[in-house]
Amino acid sequence: MQIDRFVEKNVVITTVKGRLDSSTSPKLDAFMAAIPDGSSVLLLDFAELTYISSAGLRVVLKAAKLAKGSGVVLAICGLIPPVHEVFDVSGFSTLIPIHPNRDAALATLA
Amino acid sequence: MIIDRIDFRLANDLAELEPLVRALDCFGEAVALPPKTAHRLTLAIDEFVNNAVDYGYPDHRQGEITVSIRHRVEHLEIVIADDGDAFDPLTAPAPDLSGSIEERRIGGLGVHLVRTLATSFAYRREDGRNVVTLALALDA
Repeated sequence: MQIDRFVEKNVVITTVKGRLDSSTSPKLDAFMAAIPDGSSVLLLDFAELTYISSAGLRVVLKAAKLAKGSGVVLAICGLIPPVHEVFDVSGFSTLIPIHPNRDAALATLA
Repeated sequence: MIIDRIDFRLANDLAELEPLVRALDCFGEAVALPPKTAHRLTLAIDEFVNNAVDYGYPDHRQGEITVSIRHRVEHLEIVIADDGDAFDPLTAPAPDLSGSIEERRIGGLGVHLVRTLATSFAYRREDGRNVVTLALALDA
């Protein structure tokens, strides 16, 4: 798994490539533990995320809780259909805004 | 050649998962599984092997987990068995999916995901083993 972060206007974009499972999710968990100063929106770009398990969902929910508690919006974009299905079945799709791709997300959030 | 069955025998150690996942990816490509079916297959095995390793052997004894996959005409049949402590996933409480971000509890989703994505799901305790049998649709 590879994690990269960059900023576009007020949006902090975190891209995750590869698999988010019990062995890799602690890395994202540590990465999302602190919200960068001055950011108002956190966007998780999962376009190159090929797999997610409940361990990955756990980290996403934790990050969403932290953001909410800090008055920051957390959104997700770019889910491939098999990963989107896991978000749907877990009820996360109604909990966290999901955008089809980064451009659509930035058009709404930036 | 059509691969119609694949079997794995694992120690109760999470380090076993990485080569297993690679083998599942190869299997999925070899039999041209639809993307959703391939993801569900890895998810089912990942979740149940993780649960067995994390909770089935509280005394840290050595254990054995077996996974077998049968490629049928209309579905994949998966049997996951472990010799850990008895655990019936059908008695696991269903997570509350309706709460707000603040209300949602972290964790407890693995069994729910697999049960929901499988077309059939069964559990039995047999000869000191937990045996979970499930089917995944091939037309996902």
